[in-house]
Amino acid sequence: MELTSLTCDILKEMFNISVGKSAKILSEIINKKIRLDVPRIKFLDSKNKDELNSSFSNIPDGTLMLSSISFSQRLNGEAKLIFPANKMKTFINLCLNEENKGAENIEFTDMDFDIIREVGNIILNSIVGEMGNFLDINLNYTLPEVKVFDKEDFKRDIGSKEYFYMLMLYITFIICDTEIEGAIIINLKTKNSYEQLMEILKKMEDDLND
Amino acid sequence: MRFLIVDDSKFTQKITEKYLREKFIDVEITLAGDGEEGFEKYKKLRPDYVFIDLLMPIINGQELIKLIKEKDGESKIFIISADVQKSVKEEMEGYGILGFINKPMDDEKAQYIYDAIIGEGNGTD
Repeated sequence: MELTSLTCDILKEMFNISVGKSAKILSEIINKKIRLDVPRIKFLDSKNKDELNSSFSNIPDGTLMLSSISFSQRLNGEAKLIFPANKMKTFINLCLNEENKGAENIEFTDMDFDIIREVGNIILNSIVGEMGNFLDINLNYTLPEVKVFDKEDFKRDIGSKEYFYMLMLYITFIICDTEIEGAIIINLKTKNSYEQLMEILKKMEDDLND
Repeated sequence: MRFLIVDDSKFTQKITEKYLREKFIDVEITLAGDGEEGFEKYKKLRPDYVFIDLLMPIINGQELIKLIKEKDGESKIFIISADVQKSVKEEMEGYGILGFINKPMDDEKAQYIYDAIIGEGNGTD
């Protein structure tokens, strides 16, 4: 589905602000400078399932670590943070001040899962919460969850859903010399939520054009 | 001084504890992993200050604050949350909390807590 250029611009600005804040938060957690590449946004819905493959081509193959929260009220949906599992091990080591520990072993401990859950919680709250502030709506959240997925299984899972309305943000964090390419997926669970979002964005566009 | 930190993330518990210990020299810190455990520990220990996360299993932070305030209207509570929504902050400020701090804890935020506590005239170090 194509968004108008102004809608795209509003969404980009909204996510630039929130992803920028996320980078600041991550940098505070690991006490290292983080460079963040400006996100590219793509909208994907269940009518265009054939675009799933190309939409996921930027995300590295293999095992993914997925942190998610659900939100409800005026918009109902789920926000997911997806990064390659091997890169997350490096990030976890930085969180624990264990920079010199190798990241070859990608077996995750309970503490690793706790860190990813909490970091995902902080980042996704920043992204979704700032979206709520920007759109002037209130959202309620569920507890964050962490899962490990194979990329192909994850894609298949999305493809099997009858309806989905997804905003995909492709992001790259560069921490020290480690480049972490991943994505944030905001999946609106109902058509009504998608229409609500579009209505709010349309009103913002109209206000800008007045 | 006695502090109680209630957060379901051990990682956040550790970070919050570390920064608070850097500011408050003589402090006893107790940790709880959810709202229910937090309430039990509150009743048992009667800490001087409580630091509560909002999104937690069993009893969430908002319910825990209500329970503590019902038990002890004078309780002194800071919220440490990832929620950045203005509406949530405004709502929680209606519960008579001392402060709403966004995660993660850092030196500046710990200093804010220190100043707020010392400003209250309750600081001992």
